[in-house]
Amino acid sequence: MPTLTKEIVPGLIATGASCRIDEDIPAPFKIGDQVEIKNINPVTHTRLPRYVRGKKGVVDRDHGVFSFPDTGAHGLGHKPQHVYSVKFSFQELWGEDYPGNMYLYIDMFDDYMRAA
Amino acid sequence: MNGIHDLGGMDGIGPINPKQNEPVFHDEWERRMFGMFISCFAGGHYNVDEFRHAIERMDPAHYLESSYYEHWLKSLETLLVEKGVVTEEELEARKKDIAMEDA
Amino acid sequence: MAHDHDHDHDHPHNKPLSDVELRVKALESVLTEKDLIDPEAIDLIVETYETKIGPRNGAKVVAKAWTDPDFKARLLDDATEAIKELGFSGVQGEDMVVVENTEDIHNIVVCTLCSCYPWPTLGLPPVWYKAAPYRAKVVKDPRGVLDEFGVSLPDSTEIRVWDSNAELRYLVLPKRPDGTDGMNEDDLANLVTRDSMIGTGLVSA
Repeated sequence: MPTLTKEIVPGLIATGASCRIDEDIPAPFKIGDQVEIKNINPVTHTRLPRYVRGKKGVVDRDHGVFSFPDTGAHGLGHKPQHVYSVKFSFQELWGEDYPGNMYLYIDMFDDYMRAA
Repeated sequence: MNGIHDLGGMDGIGPINPKQNEPVFHDEWERRMFGMFISCFAGGHYNVDEFRHAIERMDPAHYLESSYYEHWLKSLETLLVEKGVVTEEELEARKKDIAMEDA
Repeated sequence: MAHDHDHDHDHPHNKPLSDVELRVKALESVLTEKDLIDPEAIDLIVETYETKIGPRNGAKVVAKAWTDPDFKARLLDDATEAIKELGFSGVQGEDMVVVENTEDIHNIVVCTLCSCYPWPTLGLPPVWYKAAPYRAKVVKDPRGVLDEFGVSLPDSTEIRVWDSNAELRYLVLPKRPDGTDGMNEDDLANLVTRDSMIGTGLVSA
């Protein structure tokens, strides 16, 4: 019998499948920390887009512990770690010509960052 | 991977052309594709990360030229064949049968 | 094994099935035959997202935040729990963040890598949100994107672009327009557009 039958649909849609992991892992970074995004270029799956690699930003929020997609896509386990909103100025990302009041916020995993 | 999907900051892609009041699905096949994705996900055949990565592995030109749910179709075909749930031959044969009945 | 010929009304008999349609039908047929999917479950999933889950959900969240300061505080502090109070949660909304537009700050949301979007509050995303042009441009030229949507903001407005590349899903709390004092929640909700909750639109009275 298929896993997803009509009866199960409403409950499945209402519950979803969070990727948050209930593990008390200490956070290597905290709000306000200056960070530099690692310049990694895996040929495998990553959620680290090219346009922020090597860039410097500031940790804005700590969302807690989640499973890591880079390993999850290849059967290499959850590797739970913190995810943070990191704030970058457009000047940092795209150049000095940009006005100073434009910012990009993106969700970065512990493994994507180092202290700046 | 440094694939075509990693679009942030690329120039020259073209106008956004936002349409108002679009239907949720544009075709019947899009509906079936959406439902199949959820069903196969619930069945544990792949996780969301694998699903996304299979889309990232599409031919870049095809990725840009095809519609959104066609990406989902390609991903499911890729993953379900790679994981031995279906074979390419089975899908091809069924395609031929359906096309013949439709003619 | 015989298969029934579908008499879809969007498929007149003088137009052959496209390659994509054939592939989708073949996949559904094979998976059903192997008892791996249930076509009736698919019917119900489709019906749910076509008729029951959509931006009217998000509009209710916004209207409540505009009229109930305690709810708004909870929403900005723990969006997942606050939105759950209104009964909206589940697939692609399990971990929510709400970002507030103010007099000085305008937020806009994208998923540059694919199409991540808060389904329980906004329904399924529109084609433009999932397509390459928006995903490429908004993180580099958000004002240019807002121009394409007919939205113009003063140069002094701080712009914040949120790339939802992980499993958090983002919803914009648009600014409540002037001239809406005394309106009740239902009427306020009716003003809230889907685009205003993505950040590509503003709410007007």
